[in-house]
Amino acid sequence: MKFTNSDNKTNKTEMSGQRYWKSLDDLSESPAFKDWLHREFPQGASELNGVNRRQFMKVMAASFGLAGLGLTGCRRPEALILPYAKQPEMVIPGVASYYSTSMPSGSENIPLIVETQETRPTKIEGNPSYKPYGGATDIFAQASVLDLYDPDRAKYSKRNGKKLSKSAVKDVLYGVHSELEKSKGKGVAILSEETSSPTRQRLAADLLKKYPEITWAEYEPAGSRNPEIAAKKVFGKDLRPYYRFKNASRIVSFDSDFLKNEAGDLGWIQGFSKGRSIKSGKDAHKMNRLYMVEAQMSITGGMADHRLRLASAHILPFMRLFAAEVLNQAGVMSSLANQLKSLGGKLDVDQKWIIECVKDLLANKGKSLVVVGSQHDIEAQILAITINEVIQSNGRTVDYLSIPENKAKSITELAKSLNSNEVETLIIMGGNPVYNAPGDLDWTSAQKKAGRVIRWAYSEDETSETSDFFLASTHYLESWSDGRTFDGTYVPVQPMIRPLFEGFSAIEVLNGMLGKDTIDAYSEVRSTFDSLTNAYDKDKAFNRFLAEGLLERSGFDLVDVSIDESVVSNIFKSSSKKTPVVDSNSLEALLVPSLQLADGRYNNNGWLMECPDPITKLTWDNAILISPRLAHELEEKFNVSIFGPETRMNDLDANLIDGASKFGLKPYEAEFDRGREMAPVATLEIDGRKIEGYLHVQPGLANYTVVTPLGFGRKKTGRIGEDAGFDAYPLMNSENRLFTTGIKIEVSEKRYKLANTQEHWSMEGRAIIRESNTDEYAKHPDFVDHMGMESHSPPIYGADQDMSLAEKATKTPRGMSSYEFPDHEGVHQWGMSIDLNTCTGCNACVIACQSENNIPIVGKFEVARGREMHWIRMDRYYSSDDSGSNVNGIPEDVQVSFQPMACAQCETAPCEQVCPVNATVHDDEGLNVMAYNRCVGTRYCANNCPYKVRRFNFYDWNKRAIDNYNEGPLGEDLTGDLPSMQRNPDVTVRMRGVMEKCTYCLQRIQESKIHHKNKNGSTGDVKVPDGTIKTACQQVCAADAIVFGDISDPESEVSKMKELDRDYSVLGYLNIRPRTTYLAKIRNPNKNMPNYYKQPYGRQDYDNRYGHGDHGDDHGKGHKDHAHH
Amino acid sequence: MANIFPKWANFVPIQIIVALVFILVAITSIVTYYFTPKYTRAGYQPTQPVAFSHKLHAGQLGMDCRFCHNHVDESGHANIPASSTCMSCHSIIKTDSPALAPIRESFETGEPVPWVKVHLVPDYVYFNHSIHVNRGISCVECHGRVDDMEVVHHDKSLSMSFCLDCHNHPEEKIRPLDKVYDLAWKAESKEAQMEMGTDLVHDWNVNPPISCSGCHR
Repeated sequence: MKFTNSDNKTNKTEMSGQRYWKSLDDLSESPAFKDWLHREFPQGASELNGVNRRQFMKVMAASFGLAGLGLTGCRRPEALILPYAKQPEMVIPGVASYYSTSMPSGSENIPLIVETQETRPTKIEGNPSYKPYGGATDIFAQASVLDLYDPDRAKYSKRNGKKLSKSAVKDVLYGVHSELEKSKGKGVAILSEETSSPTRQRLAADLLKKYPEITWAEYEPAGSRNPEIAAKKVFGKDLRPYYRFKNASRIVSFDSDFLKNEAGDLGWIQGFSKGRSIKSGKDAHKMNRLYMVEAQMSITGGMADHRLRLASAHILPFMRLFAAEVLNQAGVMSSLANQLKSLGGKLDVDQKWIIECVKDLLANKGKSLVVVGSQHDIEAQILAITINEVIQSNGRTVDYLSIPENKAKSITELAKSLNSNEVETLIIMGGNPVYNAPGDLDWTSAQKKAGRVIRWAYSEDETSETSDFFLASTHYLESWSDGRTFDGTYVPVQPMIRPLFEGFSAIEVLNGMLGKDTIDAYSEVRSTFDSLTNAYDKDKAFNRFLAEGLLERSGFDLVDVSIDESVVSNIFKSSSKKTPVVDSNSLEALLVPSLQLADGRYNNNGWLMECPDPITKLTWDNAILISPRLAHELEEKFNVSIFGPETRMNDLDANLIDGASKFGLKPYEAEFDRGREMAPVATLEIDGRKIEGYLHVQPGLANYTVVTPLGFGRKKTGRIGEDAGFDAYPLMNSENRLFTTGIKIEVSEKRYKLANTQEHWSMEGRAIIRESNTDEYAKHPDFVDHMGMESHSPPIYGADQDMSLAEKATKTPRGMSSYEFPDHEGVHQWGMSIDLNTCTGCNACVIACQSENNIPIVGKFEVARGREMHWIRMDRYYSSDDSGSNVNGIPEDVQVSFQPMACAQCETAPCEQVCPVNATVHDDEGLNVMAYNRCVGTRYCANNCPYKVRRFNFYDWNKRAIDNYNEGPLGEDLTGDLPSMQRNPDVTVRMRGVMEKCTYCLQRIQESKIHHKNKNGSTGDVKVPDGTIKTACQQVCAADAIVFGDISDPESEVSKMKELDRDYSVLGYLNIRPRTTYLAKIRNPNKNMPNYYKQPYGRQDYDNRYGHGDHGDDHGKGHKDHAHH
Repeated sequence: MANIFPKWANFVPIQIIVALVFILVAITSIVTYYFTPKYTRAGYQPTQPVAFSHKLHAGQLGMDCRFCHNHVDESGHANIPASSTCMSCHSIIKTDSPALAPIRESFETGEPVPWVKVHLVPDYVYFNHSIHVNRGISCVECHGRVDDMEVVHHDKSLSMSFCLDCHNHPEEKIRPLDKVYDLAWKAESKEAQMEMGTDLVHDWNVNPPISCSGCHR
């Protein structure tokens, strides 16, 4: 036992400083977590459950015996080649074609280029011709191609469950038309999803013009037009604020997750990251600074330099105080300032925070920007407009675009008409109100009051269950339409493939109701286009429009605006003074569109479902996120353990230390208590509406705000979405949709198993992510060289450390190693640089990679065993400050750092040295390649990989249905041909028993090399120009954080990135010489702020652990000037 | 105590060792001969739905390979011609030939002609035709004298060692670009081939991949 104690003690001292910690268990240093760390792989990731080896051999003996009998007849299996009967134009088998289109997503369309293989759409990329997005897309656009091949999508229209033929559907629509003709629209109501399509808007306007009595309503549960409504109130015109983050050097965000959950976010990421990308220490102070006031822990909050936790309900009072301070300090509109101050109310926040923040804004007049979350009400929006006016943002960091008027009614008004039995025919186009209408509307019963309900949707869902007619919709990749981007640029939606099933597009449905003879969508889009262009040759202009994927100069007009104090002052005259109470008895619920599924429309998409939430790292479920303080209070109140079943884990550990045999443990219990999170089940209640969910403690939340991500808990959806998570919509009220106070919580004894990828692959708090402040970076631009073990050890390149990057890559100098390394003689030497300063952690690279590389999903059960297959994962680290407040040792204020991690293509790769069959070897261009066909599945390589980025096919993920894996060929197979139609034909679909990992998109490299050589035939030019090859993760990145290219060419962009002083290798001291290196993260705090930090918390941790060591300076480059450090 | 083992038992270990050596040698030679593409693939000559004669079309009539396999220089796959390609001549010549009935039927109905695949590399090999023909490797190197075959057969083994032989010594096979589709062409002598080949490899910067990533992804 003595040994045990001393062992514990050393661990304690070594780990007691602040440091990066990846989960609560990690931080609380539970012994079970340590045991878990030392096991290399999460428990069960490498075990055959419930069957021991002897049993296995017994059972399998028969199969082994038969294995030899099957060889005959495999000599020359007959295979057929089926060519076209008539060769279509422009199709070259084996060569992908690319077409422009755009993806409709609420109030904007995202311009796209779609890769099609023999007319099958396989991969979605952003259209680089649209400059504000620069070719970037988000996870939803990336994953939308999978929806096209969703086996659960609606295949035909139905009436009361019976199939309707296409012509019968046309009859139904004509029936609606005749009814409209008779009643001029009285008794007919249409509830539509929001759309940016000018054609759809035109047809809707036609309907309203012809039949003025129609009730036309629009509803988007998570989207909000509040900024536009506010602008109309202030300026009297239909305007949309459009931000220029690129020009903003000081940004204050009031509860606005503008890097993820606001319309136009791709453009915001682009602009924001431009303001954050710096080339050298000299530029450090040019970096922008983000102040964030928010209730949840958003990814935008993760990028913040100063962050204040505040309940959403308190944002408005806070903004009043903030705006009053701005007006006071600027010395303008003093009466409004006083009015706001008196309205402000009492808030428990540090006044100094506001004063100093405002000072900083005003010191940067014309270069500052204030944004507020669109979920906040009109008053908050107006305050933001006012502040922006005073800090001279208008025309510099924010523009106002003139948008068409939207006269649509709200869902609340429609519910009222339904309840008063005014609606005979209700047509629901898209959306899913039965699932996502505000809970207090009781939409389900309101809908029943309509005489008949006609429903047009992509798949059968909750709403179609209660509808009389169900009309199947086409996918946007199958039909003609159009749309506008957030700034109004006109973009096409053109079909890539004929409709796979019997669906109708929205334009066809509207045309049908208008009673047109042909309901064809193409000619409607053509006539919209013709009205928008003034080109003489419209056919030519249209072809050019399709080729470019956008109509130039078709965006909304910029409008010069200025504010009238009396107008604003009038608006605030009637506003209420009350500051809502948010405390442990009356919690605030904040409903956020989940980072994977948004408002639920992507619910049946396997890629999105399995994509870990970047902050909580949960997959396949949502959770009620609570602050550590609330968790602590709930533990005491309900006498349950929320922070984790510590006692049991300690018992396990004590057993181990006492020398009890490992096999004496109950493996089942041990296994299901960690990586899979045993979450307490809790109930939230407001006004008698209840939801049941699972608690997850999340640092960084406002103390008494519970965050419930939307989009889960669908009752009728496909195979993926079924049973995933809980539905938070019942908490939504129709007035202030996304947050609500007065919530009561009850915690039960029950536990629910969550699949959390959070604790997997912990790196034990070393200098994995290197961070600094702008001040220190300006002084010590080489700070990264003084961090990490390599700064304390002899230089790994020995005498050759001053060689150029290109030479190091090709000659692979021996350095201080005992081994000689072979040279890399290839024409190119591939490398990658990832800028941690601009990466926002949005996960788009994860899905882009999945889509490009045929990466399967594995299902919740397998994720919980650590078997997810993502080639690139988004690591999220928290760091904290000791002086900050904490509960149970868990800090309330944390800094978040993201790090995308994929195979780093080590030049001296440890995985290669342990492969017994040479299945993973190096090629001459510096790639660590996998020959799948050689792999026998020993998994030694994954064991020896320091980054833990290798993924193993434990089962035939690509062949079998989820949760049927262990039944092998006897189990259910994947349904039909649909899923395999999405596969990239240039990438092997891996089978059971082989290892896989990032290849730097080898297929794209080979494709480009071959194309370049084909083009240059006999000229001898074999070097692919820089920038030709973009890996999938690089292409999708809105922040341009990833750069890939040839590092043997000193002029290539990647070489230049690697020459920057912030460049460092993760775990560089292992002498693995990774080809993927990272650029350190810089934070930009304000010295005068009350929560100023001298160093980022993560850096403080590092300095506490390693920075003050006492060593001679005769070894290593890093030590020459270590003393003054 | 009586001897348990008779005297001949002394030789049993040697006999076993000798037998084992024979068995091992036999197994090795059987596997190396019968389990490799040289035996399993080469010589494969399936019957096609239409008795198309390459000897007649490519040999006697002298049609270029690319007339039918028209994407061979721009795609990884050398495409099998569509029925419409056949009909471009056979709507004029031999319009009633019963041998061509499947082609005419396919052209009319749109159903593909079920040609039987002859040449096969495994699924995990990403062979690309275009890069080979554009860099001076003739069809004949892998497919043999197709212009001399009445019925096409699998001529070369197309095994990994077959590929690597050439990738290691491209100068032995490379030829001027205008001779790539001339299957009958041959350098005057082996020495002439080597001299020309070495020059071409140097001038064109030919550097065929010999690491896994070249063909496997």
